[in-house]
Amino acid sequence: MATEKRNKEEEEVKTDDGSPKIKPRPIVQLGIFLVAHSPVFSVVFSAAGVLALLILPLLAKNTYISENALMPGSARSMLSNRDVSDGSKLVKDIKNYRLNHEGQGVEVQKLVGKYMSEMVAEVYYQKFHPEGNQFHPLHFFSGPDSYTLLDNVSCASYGVNVAGIIRAPRGDGKESIVLVTPYDFINGGDYEALSLGITSTLFSLLARVTWLSKDIIWLVADSRYGDYRPVAAWLSEYHSPSFKVSDLLKCGERNTADNFRRAGTVAAALVLKVDGRSERFEDTLSIYAEASNGQMPNLDLINVVNYLAVHRQGFYVKVEKVVSLLSSSWLKIIGEIFEAVGKLAHTLNPDWNFGIPVADYLEGSATLASSLYSQALGIPTGPHGAFRDNQVDAITLKVSPRFPPDSKTRQHDFFLRGARLLEGTIRSVNNLLEKFHQSFFLYLLTSPSKFISVGVYMIAFALLVAPLPMVAASLYIEGCKALTKSTDNPTENLKSWKWLDAAKQVFALHLFGFIVTLLPYFICQVPGQHSPSNRSIMWGTTSSSLLLITFAAIPGCSPFTSRHHGTHWAVLKSVTISAAFIGLCLMSIINFATAEIGALLLVPTCLMAQPIKPALRSRRIKSMLGAFCSMVLLTIGFPVMFFAISKGLFGEGLVGLSLGGEFWTWLESLWAWKSATYLYIGMVHLPCWLLCLCILFHPS
Amino acid sequence: MKVLTLVMLLCYSFAFSSGDTTIHTNNWAVLVCTSRFWFNYRHMANTLSLYRTVKRLGIPDERIILMLADDMACNARNEYPAQVFNNENHKLNLYGDNVEVDYRGYEVTVENFLRVLTGRHENAVPRSKRLLSDEGSHILLYMTGHGGDEFLKFQDAEELQSHDLADAVKQMKEKRRFKELMIMVDTCQAATLFNQLQSPDVLAIGSSLKGENSYSHHLDSDVGVSVVDRFTYYTLAFFERLNIYDNASLNSLFRSYDPKLLMSTAYYRTDLYQPHLAEVPVTNFFGSVMETLHTDSVYKAFSSKTSNNKINSEMPLNQLSEHDELQKANIQNDELKTEKQKCPYTQMRVDLHKKLEKLENVDTVVNLGIAVMLLVVMVSSSLL
Repeated sequence: MATEKRNKEEEEVKTDDGSPKIKPRPIVQLGIFLVAHSPVFSVVFSAAGVLALLILPLLAKNTYISENALMPGSARSMLSNRDVSDGSKLVKDIKNYRLNHEGQGVEVQKLVGKYMSEMVAEVYYQKFHPEGNQFHPLHFFSGPDSYTLLDNVSCASYGVNVAGIIRAPRGDGKESIVLVTPYDFINGGDYEALSLGITSTLFSLLARVTWLSKDIIWLVADSRYGDYRPVAAWLSEYHSPSFKVSDLLKCGERNTADNFRRAGTVAAALVLKVDGRSERFEDTLSIYAEASNGQMPNLDLINVVNYLAVHRQGFYVKVEKVVSLLSSSWLKIIGEIFEAVGKLAHTLNPDWNFGIPVADYLEGSATLASSLYSQALGIPTGPHGAFRDNQVDAITLKVSPRFPPDSKTRQHDFFLRGARLLEGTIRSVNNLLEKFHQSFFLYLLTSPSKFISVGVYMIAFALLVAPLPMVAASLYIEGCKALTKSTDNPTENLKSWKWLDAAKQVFALHLFGFIVTLLPYFICQVPGQHSPSNRSIMWGTTSSSLLLITFAAIPGCSPFTSRHHGTHWAVLKSVTISAAFIGLCLMSIINFATAEIGALLLVPTCLMAQPIKPALRSRRIKSMLGAFCSMVLLTIGFPVMFFAISKGLFGEGLVGLSLGGEFWTWLESLWAWKSATYLYIGMVHLPCWLLCLCILFHPS
Repeated sequence: MKVLTLVMLLCYSFAFSSGDTTIHTNNWAVLVCTSRFWFNYRHMANTLSLYRTVKRLGIPDERIILMLADDMACNARNEYPAQVFNNENHKLNLYGDNVEVDYRGYEVTVENFLRVLTGRHENAVPRSKRLLSDEGSHILLYMTGHGGDEFLKFQDAEELQSHDLADAVKQMKEKRRFKELMIMVDTCQAATLFNQLQSPDVLAIGSSLKGENSYSHHLDSDVGVSVVDRFTYYTLAFFERLNIYDNASLNSLFRSYDPKLLMSTAYYRTDLYQPHLAEVPVTNFFGSVMETLHTDSVYKAFSSKTSNNKINSEMPLNQLSEHDELQKANIQNDELKTEKQKCPYTQMRVDLHKKLEKLENVDTVVNLGIAVMLLVVMVSSSLL
């Protein structure tokens, strides 16, 4: 912004008659040059930005263990068959119990608790209320414990977590490592029980080892009400004990009033899940790392797990990817081009080895897209998100065995390997002396062992938004010239205040966006049960009427007013682009992925926006094409439209009439998870989109 | 006569100042592990192994200053509580009953290290924590930790630079705190640490050249960390073959380092050290073996000495005249002289002592001495 201002000033110096001509400094000259040729440069920069994004899979680096203290895999596993048989016995007991006693979750919890206490762990039960997440605009960015509503709870539905703590025999008790196994005590399947088996195997070992320096907590989260909520409830109790006696404690036979036990600061947490059968020959391990608002755990944690899983236990490790991209032909063509260029470069200079095979490129791109999408959405991909909200590094490991759940012989081997993986990881984390801090927190994954660091991926975004200030400056100059010509009134020739009218309009629409963002809270307060579709209709109508009121209340704001009252469209576009630039830059700090995807959408829309009327009047193909492009971009840019298109892209099938309802549900999930993406859509994207619409229908 | 005595005094003081004529009378060792944290287990194991070796070869505990930056034995991560091993076979516990750590934990700082070397301690520091060496001492200084180009990291917080080390050694030399000093460093780029050394009688060995890393020897998969560094491992392997009476030379130690096994090139700086390495036994530094003075009748000499003392103590009772007493002492001294003719140094001292005792007019001697000193100063300043 500073350069933009300086550019403007310099431009004014030049146009002023009679002012002394001082030769500007080189950087200023460069600025003037860029502004003067802004159309060319904006095309070049935007194209480079998109290209840089496509090139990212090529720039991915291999991950490496950054923290010396971790030393994964340097210690021999100490698991014995006795430990494994402990785990198998627990799984068998749970299965038997559930066959005999249908639907008695509490007893299964007791069974798990009994096993834990047999391993000399401190066991306790925690009751929690399933519903926690409610949208409250004032609590948007507040801490994770802001939703503890314990006033009017009923005993009808509550969950019970079981937790066991093994104290480190010679540790100082100031740190701990948490293992979480979500388990539905009532409907949990056979595969889910296996995760209890693995952890129980490990716990049996950890109870007798001498090398622990951090306490180990095993939390069996009651996943009847989702994976995330029980963990979040446990963590909020762990970190901020409530001294008010909740009604919940009186529910059920077991009084859990004051037996909540704590260990030290949580150094790291691992969530273990076992689900469905692996499609591959090997057992598959999927790593989920994205937490709320695109926060990631330290890369070292992923590295350690990946290293141990691949090199020690022979798992096939994968991270989420957008499967539909793997078969897309356009991406394949791009990959082939990159491969050819890479080969050419290699023949020119054998040191240039940036070319990668097409298959790798496709894999990398699909993983990168998924990584970007998950971060942009801002919704955690598993219960580990609750830990990240408390600044604890955590990941979810989802293991898919290659055998059916009732195979006894395979199960032994599976338990052994799963528990060894966890043992190795815990031993590494146990070696840590400080919090994870050596490796990256800001990165995108292109495979479990490849990453793109913040320094590289920011380039794509920077290139993408670079044209915005240039075009804003050039348009402002253009608009000023036009206004000076059209009006002879000398009082209106105060150049520096010409943007004020446009700024008023931009501000009004941003205010409108802010109100629209807050509306769902009030709509949720409307009494009675409403379907999501109805709610979205309510929201839509209220917003539209508000928009009309805005246009009516502020003269010169609407695109339908006569040309004499309105500002020149170029000045309006200039201010709009400036606002979009500020919004995108701010968002890139909060959640980079959102800003990147938003910029891909918003930058072309803002740059292409121009009045449709003169274009149609001129009947020239170039201007008609420009108008058509801006209309298409604006159509896509409407949030609901974009939502529908992306749903189609991600292979979830085109949505039908219930689009409004689905959109509402989607937004509801965004604010329930306190995703900053919701704020971005409401307060940056929507106003800028409306402003572009105003420019499109500008009566000039 | 008096002038002669004075000349002798001057000669004596000159002889005192030059280290070459003093003989090796005692051995000291300063063993330093500079890094803390669990994953640097091997540095503590290195130091403790060397501690054990020098103790085995005869340096007593009160002449070893052991500095350990961390306590691995009591680390909660140690699978073998209160034990430290330098080999995965776990046969030898280095942290047994007789380990006397002089500086531990956060006491191991660059400041304390330099204080130990230069002997500039605060009054409260006990004797056991001081390096009480003299002009007849051979000192072994062993350091291990993480190093770089001309520095050695202490505790992850500060650094000892090659200039600091050279300065401390220079001070030691000037203060006659050693006769010979051997510096052995096992760090990355260890050779660079000796770049600034200037003082004579210093022998330096480093595990690696500039730009080279020093590697650990092997990993103990029970403890989960590397337990010993290559350079130290092969040094220890050399010493394990020796006993206290072996006559292996420093040269054979230096030749035992194989760059292929070390994965780095051991470096020795010998330009400050005069003796021929092939003639210097390793026990000159790593043990405490000194030249013994053979006396024909040890017990006789001893008994005569005690009798002499007895006479001295009984002197007031017997009312012996001073003359008689002196005569008796002379006879004793003559006896000693015949016994210890092989040792010129002792002989000289005895003679001097004798002469001094014979002097009757002490004040004149002192006055004359001052006058001669003034003369010497004037002459020397005019020459300069």
